[in-house]
Amino acid sequence: MALENDTVAIGVLFSAGGPYAAIGREGLAGTLLAIDEINATRQYDFVLEAHIRDPQGVTENYARLAADIVASSGAKHIVGCTTSWSRKEIIPLLEKRNTMLWYPCPYEGFEAHEQVIYLGACPNQHVLPLLDFVLPRFGADGYLVGSNYIWGWETSRIARDVMEAAGGRVAGERYVPLGDVDIDRIVEEIRVKRPAFILNTLIGPSSYAFLAAYHALGQADRSFDPSVRPVLSCNFAEPELAQLGEAATGQYAVSPYFQSLQTTENRQFLEAVTRHAPETGPVSAFFAQAYAAVHLLAAGISATGTDDAGTVRGALARRSITAPFGPVEIDLSNNHAVLTPRIARATASGFEIVADRGLAIRPDPYLAYAARFAQPASHLRVVK
Amino acid sequence: MSAPVQIASFDRKTALILHRPHPVVEAITRQLAQLGVRCEGSWPELPADAAPVADLLFYDADMGHDGQFPWAPGTAPMPAIALIGSEAPGRLAWAIRLGADAHLLKPVGSGGVFTALVIASEAFARRSAMRDELAGLRSRLEQREVVAEATACLMLQGNLPAEEAYARLRREAMTARLTIEAMAEKIVHELRAGHVHHRS
Repeated sequence: MALENDTVAIGVLFSAGGPYAAIGREGLAGTLLAIDEINATRQYDFVLEAHIRDPQGVTENYARLAADIVASSGAKHIVGCTTSWSRKEIIPLLEKRNTMLWYPCPYEGFEAHEQVIYLGACPNQHVLPLLDFVLPRFGADGYLVGSNYIWGWETSRIARDVMEAAGGRVAGERYVPLGDVDIDRIVEEIRVKRPAFILNTLIGPSSYAFLAAYHALGQADRSFDPSVRPVLSCNFAEPELAQLGEAATGQYAVSPYFQSLQTTENRQFLEAVTRHAPETGPVSAFFAQAYAAVHLLAAGISATGTDDAGTVRGALARRSITAPFGPVEIDLSNNHAVLTPRIARATASGFEIVADRGLAIRPDPYLAYAARFAQPASHLRVVK
Repeated sequence: MSAPVQIASFDRKTALILHRPHPVVEAITRQLAQLGVRCEGSWPELPADAAPVADLLFYDADMGHDGQFPWAPGTAPMPAIALIGSEAPGRLAWAIRLGADAHLLKPVGSGGVFTALVIASEAFARRSAMRDELAGLRSRLEQREVVAEATACLMLQGNLPAEEAYARLRREAMTARLTIEAMAEKIVHELRAGHVHHRS
């Protein structure tokens, strides 16, 4: 099968409005930058044509808009979705229309759909390495706070298992509705319980409100300073940090990508960002992973001469592309990316990477091998 | 990353898939590989050597029959998952009689195996615990007579009221680290064999 013409339709499905707009805009910008870059350099004998829809953070909009993209453009690939709910909403459409979703966000795991390529970290690449770093330094009695949906529930459940296995105890566990900013009672409970750390799986405004309130507590009582009782996040992005500034300073995050990553790949990537989209603010993993997704997709189309979903997926076997966070490949046994987790501390000017073992970790979305030691992907070069 | 994590894990377990060669077997095999489970397909019989030692079983409810299994219906010695294509009541009745701990509907795509394994393992653990408890209760019921007889013997021997005789039986059982039933059996056996000794 060959491409019918030299234009390949690509669906783009991110929320630039709604409760997680800051993250949605990152995915959108990363996707569009990669498309612009690919089209401008003419490195392939086709151009990508973006067909953009904005679900505004409303879960029910995703399936309808994805169907609309496929029906109107014939796109066989969609880059998009931030929450797991939205991803699960469009899976029936992907199956029915033989379409591939390129999902660029970290998530809670326990899924490996053949028609989804997962570019973000799954738990053995985010919360497990983060706790592995934090427990020996701060203690195992953590407090769990999250938005009331699957990301928070499942990430916290995994954290609970890790903490208890390390002899710790869960000091408290609270969930707040998506978008809710009424978190004073939670901060008060933390003040009373004095946990060793707080694992924050809140998203959007709830997370910003929590970090601001916890910062105020730390100012009033130094025993809640981040150097004593830090807040940990697995999805805290640069634009959010820029917005929070001082209020988030000292807190910890884990991600395969931080803007401050000192590598040649990242320098070149940031130059491309400046060249193609000079108005871009700070960039995050959500941006970089969406960007990498489009490059992988284009490489797959180029290698096979078709945009057929299954054929492009097959072409990813043993194919590695240079992503902003280093060489990236997809493990086709579960369609997830092999990624190198990095741990960073927030500062007023961005994330400062404090731990980077340079070890690429194979995705284990079902935590099937979590009881064993982490298994670095031995054939990937250590990137420093 | 090095912390042991207590999450339902099937890493290094073995599964048998009793189903004719079919895409459903490939789909299950692919999902099992993601979970670290080694598996083997087999049809129309279960391999006699491998079947009793496998950790997990998937069996076809569409074309399956009792004769395929080396154990009685309902007594599979591992979690058993029915693979259901036809939802005809007769076939469902057979799948249930065989002892489905969980089921998967065909066709099988990219999900469902992990859920079926978690639910089947839990159901199997419950089934095993209940079977063991039932066996224990049944055996105690059968030994009710010997406890009565031993109590009567102790009453006569020590000229004791019933409560005291029973209390002594319990005490001796505890000292000997035996169940009351086993201690009663021993006392009655000794009496019958003529080893009557003075009990103070």
